[in-house]
Amino acid sequence: MRYIIGIDVGGTNTNACLLVIDQGGQGHVLKMAKAPTRHEDLFTSTRQALAEISDEISSADCRDLEIHLSTTLITNAIVEGKGDPVATIITTGPGLAPEAMGFAFPVSLVGGVIDHRGRETAPLVMDEVRSALKAAVDQGARAVAVVGKFSPRNPGHELAIEDLIQQEFPGLYPPTLGHRLSGRLNFPRRVNTCYLNAKVARLQREFIDRIRDTLLWELAALSARTGQEAQKTRLRVFLLKADGGTIEMEKAVNRPVETILSGPAASVMGALALTEPSESCVVVLDIGGTTTDIAVLVGGKPLAEKDGAVVGGFKTLVPAFFSRSIGLGGDSTVSYQEGRIKIGPTRAGTAAALGGDALTPTDAIVLTEQGSFGDYQRALTVLENFSRNTGGSPRELAEEIHQAFCEQAVAAINGIFADLNSCPVYTVSEVLVPRGLKPEKIIGLGGPAAFYIPRIAHLLGVPYEVLPYYEGANAVGAAASRPTAAITLRADTALGKVTIPELDQVTDLARPALFDRRKAEQLALESARGYAEKIGAYYPEAQFEVDEEEVFNMVRGFYTVGKLFTMKAQVKPDVIKVVPK
Amino acid sequence: MDTERCTIPQLGLVFFPAFDWAISPDHPEREERLLYTRDQLVEEGLLDLPGVMEFRPKVATENDLKRTHICIPSIPAVLTKAHLIAAGGCITAAKAVMEQKVKKAFALLRPPGHHAMRLVHGARGFCTINNEAILIEYIRKHYGSHLKIAVVDTDAHHADGSQDIFYNDPGVLHISLHQDGRTLYPGTGNLDELGGPGAYGLTLNIPLPPGSGDRELLFVTKNLVLPVLEEFQPDLVINGAGQDNHYSDPLTHMQVTAQGYAELNKLLQPDLVVLEGGYAIEGALPYVNVAIILALLGMDYSRVLEPDGQRDLVPPPPGALELVKKEVAYLRGVWAKRREIDLDKIFGTAPYYRRERRIYYDTDDILEHQVDQIKRCNKCSGYRVIYSRAQKRVAREISVAVVHLPWHVCADCRAEAESAYERLHPDGGLDRVYLQDVEKEVFLEKQ
Ligand SMILES: [Zn+2]
Ligand SMILES: [Zn+2]
Repeated sequence: MRYIIGIDVGGTNTNACLLVIDQGGQGHVLKMAKAPTRHEDLFTSTRQALAEISDEISSADCRDLEIHLSTTLITNAIVEGKGDPVATIITTGPGLAPEAMGFAFPVSLVGGVIDHRGRETAPLVMDEVRSALKAAVDQGARAVAVVGKFSPRNPGHELAIEDLIQQEFPGLYPPTLGHRLSGRLNFPRRVNTCYLNAKVARLQREFIDRIRDTLLWELAALSARTGQEAQKTRLRVFLLKADGGTIEMEKAVNRPVETILSGPAASVMGALALTEPSESCVVVLDIGGTTTDIAVLVGGKPLAEKDGAVVGGFKTLVPAFFSRSIGLGGDSTVSYQEGRIKIGPTRAGTAAALGGDALTPTDAIVLTEQGSFGDYQRALTVLENFSRNTGGSPRELAEEIHQAFCEQAVAAINGIFADLNSCPVYTVSEVLVPRGLKPEKIIGLGGPAAFYIPRIAHLLGVPYEVLPYYEGANAVGAAASRPTAAITLRADTALGKVTIPELDQVTDLARPALFDRRKAEQLALESARGYAEKIGAYYPEAQFEVDEEEVFNMVRGFYTVGKLFTMKAQVKPDVIKVVPK
Repeated sequence: MDTERCTIPQLGLVFFPAFDWAISPDHPEREERLLYTRDQLVEEGLLDLPGVMEFRPKVATENDLKRTHICIPSIPAVLTKAHLIAAGGCITAAKAVMEQKVKKAFALLRPPGHHAMRLVHGARGFCTINNEAILIEYIRKHYGSHLKIAVVDTDAHHADGSQDIFYNDPGVLHISLHQDGRTLYPGTGNLDELGGPGAYGLTLNIPLPPGSGDRELLFVTKNLVLPVLEEFQPDLVINGAGQDNHYSDPLTHMQVTAQGYAELNKLLQPDLVVLEGGYAIEGALPYVNVAIILALLGMDYSRVLEPDGQRDLVPPPPGALELVKKEVAYLRGVWAKRREIDLDKIFGTAPYYRRERRIYYDTDDILEHQVDQIKRCNKCSGYRVIYSRAQKRVAREISVAVVHLPWHVCADCRAEAESAYERLHPDGGLDRVYLQDVEKEVFLEKQ
């Protein structure tokens, strides 16, 4: 049997889920578990959650065990500024001055220019690279990020700098190169992405080593309990990424930055795994202890960030679901301002009804639900105390808190849709398609979801669905995720070149005039497959698709001199459907 | 989410490259035109800058068009959806500025518009409808008809379409800096084209000798454009930012650089910038547009240099600057005396000023013959009757009359214009008769 354990290390709780995959490829939840997240020691919470569910694994027939881990490690490291000092080497060419790009870290500019079609218009100045690296090493840098403007169109300069580092600076960690992390244009974002990647690479390495030890230990314990030899079980560990895909843990060593923001991705994947695809526009609300994450599905597919994730104030090119987080959750503060109740945005702490001392929306729920969970008396006391300022009975105050909570959620949803509807588009047909997106349904998960989702949906005037296993549905989502990988193909028949930056590939076209759309698509799909195999994202059922495509005729002086093809090909994003009991 | 902003962003950007629209596959005005510009803007990360906010273009409505144009025989017959989005994108940019969502806005879009005149029989100079004029009429309709607007058109070609539309309009100051019409399409834009009897001196043309570059452009900006704007005190300044004056443009003979264009915008500080022409799509547009955006943001643009090292830049011919200085001196003289001048000496003493023109539509190969009668009125700029005959090669000639009532038309002119429309019958050689009443937003047509 094939088992998948999904673990989502959230801000408040760590949830775990054990899935068994049947012959038809569908998942069934065998066990859910929960442990409080300990930020100072993510391993303990992870191990605790793991220990609870591994009992359920019938190891007699456990041939394949996958563990899908969604952690806040890298996200938190970035937000808290942890990691190694990085030497960031850039080449630019005409345009914005590097000082104007607003980098939150020092960069070293070296000579060398690639233009928008990938032509070298000024050669790389190796001596400047050398002295920039020397200076950085003298200041203690061990990690290096190397990014050239237009490097996805021609990675030549970045590769030459990598060579130089290997030969002349063997003490440095392997550098992060811009074109390998993203084939998309946006130089400042590519620099940010590579800088962050280089900075947290060692943290990721250490984390992965410890996780491997932890998991091997757990697996050994499992074998010991059942008398089964551990070797018979094939264990593979995957990390969840911001785009809801997984990456094999050992391969993630080189691409730690992709594992940011996996929490919101896990919620979206939970919604996709546990519901039937719907044509309508669905809002996914994950109401947690501290925050509520809001994502959107259109035609059954999650909306993605236009350019990439934003984390810790850094704009990156990391593919990510569109998701917005607001400071609204079961443990949020409740305040009374100008005659109105306001929830959040900060966390108050544990609810009084659950042993804390602050008034939170959770206490209001305990009161309204009349103690179906939590300590009713403690909830009543904390509401009574607060209602001395606001007037009215504790019960009325609880209703006001619910109302404020739901109104704030609805306001955030409406704000998000206003933003989405003003998104720019670049072709005639896109402008004319009415893009009046509006919320048509809510899917909810997270601890307070069962209570708040029906009320929010009522206020918004749309139907709703509260996910099965809603408290830990993000762990189900992590378990149900599958690998993703994408390449960018750029063919310029006038220059006679094809570039696939993710694969370090620049090749000459043998017969540029005969290179057409069909050939370009074929090459893009083959390359996507090769790339998936290379980075551990290949699986037998994987389908490949060309996801984005641009074709332009190039005309110079009234003659067509060639064609430009730009294509993105990828492993088609997929999810394991989970059948609730 | 950026819902709570304390300061409004410096620059709104409406980018509409119309990647699926071309006049014909190998025409300069084709799908590929803004491709490299898009790549450069995206790679520079300009849309991520804190001072930049991108807007989605709206689609211009029928009335948005009719306030400016008479499309003959009909709107759908002469234009495509791409035109409506380009015009709509300009309106979006204008709205963003007028409603203070941003301080300035740049409509970086195609197809262009500045050769499109009030009457539209087809496309000329790659233009079908006039994006700038449409946005100006939108502003006057929605934000106040007394708003004073200045257009500074720096495309290498004379902005004859915009000039035609605002020729007799006292609310709009129209300045065009272009390559001398004796050496380039459309051939007009001479020093002596200074506006109609209702707006004399508010049309200013500076024909630049072929080969003129940054020095000449900036001299005119500093010594004519800025002082005239200073006195006119416009509520809104628009730069019609054609980029075919670049030294590498294949269609013209000017020598302006990206740096020169940036400095122009730094000096001018326009509220709105609208892209017009520009056909050096790889070597100029990506850099000129980045330079304009940085200049509008008040950022350092000194590193925006053409990657060819300005290899093809040729110094201006001897005497170019001297000639330009003379033109500037002449026009400053006209400007200074524009209110004292005896208009009867220029426009005659007849109750109607009448002018006859031939207008050639190079893109669609149409020849138009126009007779324009402007009522001489001292209470308003005067209503107009325009008779137009146009023929496309072997097609049947079409003949129309248009009665145009300007903003702030006086009661006498209104009565006279309305009865003129009554009197004109679509027979005896007229196929259609139109009434364009911008103030009441009444657009009538009979055939
Ligand atoms: Zn032009
Ligand atoms: Zn009058």
